[in-house]
Amino acid sequence: MNTFKLKIITPEKIFYEGEAVQLIAKTAAGNIGILAGHTPYVANVVPSPLKISENGTDFRVAAVSSGVVKAEKDLVTVVTTAVEWAEDIDIARAERSRERAERELNARASDKEFRHAEQRLKRALNRLSVSGKK
Amino acid sequence: MATANMKDVKRRIKSVESTMQITKAMQLVASSKLRRAKERALAAQPFFAALYDTMSDISNDPAFKSIYTKKKMLKSTLFVIIAGDRGLAGGFNNNVLKLAAQKINELTEKNEKVSVIAVGRKAVEFCEKRGYDIVGEFPQVAESLSIVDAEDIADEIIEKFRCGYFDQVDMIYTTFVSALSQEPVAVSVLPVEDISTGVKSSSLVEYDPSPEEVFDGLIPQYLTGLIYAAVVDSFASEQAARRTAMESASDNAEEMINNLTLLYNRARQAMITQELTEISSATLNDND
Repeated sequence: MNTFKLKIITPEKIFYEGEAVQLIAKTAAGNIGILAGHTPYVANVVPSPLKISENGTDFRVAAVSSGVVKAEKDLVTVVTTAVEWAEDIDIARAERSRERAERELNARASDKEFRHAEQRLKRALNRLSVSGKK
Repeated sequence: MATANMKDVKRRIKSVESTMQITKAMQLVASSKLRRAKERALAAQPFFAALYDTMSDISNDPAFKSIYTKKKMLKSTLFVIIAGDRGLAGGFNNNVLKLAAQKINELTEKNEKVSVIAVGRKAVEFCEKRGYDIVGEFPQVAESLSIVDAEDIADEIIEKFRCGYFDQVDMIYTTFVSALSQEPVAVSVLPVEDISTGVKSSSLVEYDPSPEEVFDGLIPQYLTGLIYAAVVDSFASEQAARRTAMESASDNAEEMINNLTLLYNRARQAMITQELTEISSATLNDND
């Protein structure tokens, strides 16, 4: 099967670098699948599960926060501020931040705080759903 | 008299010795922290380069427009000032804050509105003392800044920028030139400077949904990366400055101890000589 080079970059480190067969990411418009030989393409990624397949059948899942996916000839780059493998997610911590965000949402604070809390809630829910425990 | 002097000198040697122990320890801590900070600064580079490439690709398109690139009349400016949480780092905090004060003065003299976001305890204290209009303060983040903290700061800036509270955002921090030299710098953050490379890249790239939206969507990450990199850079500089300062403090302490030891030995010798003179003169007197 055809493979392409995949790179996932965060400010802290290069999270992933290797050959992949397929990448599934979620953009504002919905899920996109990228295979080898994809046309040059750039889109924003929203907080969601990111699925990577190295052999074409099994997928490894990671939780990404917002970022960008860029497909070039033979190279696909995902640049994001935070990403974690599903199995590495600290469920207790995600649960705590979900609770906190929900509490803040209920407190009906200012507009800005509301939006912040909403974003945090989204991130927390994404991590929880990726880790398989919601 | 000699004995009193000797006691004094001995006490001073002790106190300088214990000071030297502290400065030596701080020097060691700073060098190991510096190593880690340098690694972090290095690790942040690919992220930033990738974002920057994408953004400059987009802005190569002549038809491209974004509210983040538009130059407006300079009426109000936001400064993000990044300094350390602690002192004892030579001129590190002083230098960067001096540059900040100078930049702010230039603008206030022209009756322009200036607001600040202070990062690091020393920056917060400085801005409070000066009575600047502080729109955000983030003390105690320099050492363990996480991406989430950087995101918070970036969110704050983007929101206010979009609402038009300020039309220019500058960042002032210390950049790590080498282990011996760190330089305070001021860089413009928003509006995004013209970063098009001039080369018309293949317009075959498909932007989903549009180049503008991809660009605007990238701004939070871009800013987060920029802030993260600046704080990490500033922290590395702080450690380097502290190491140099503590190194020279330790050297000075050593020199002082040497001088004091010499003084002590002289006093001891003088005392012995005096005692000998006293004894011999007493014997002479007895013989008389």
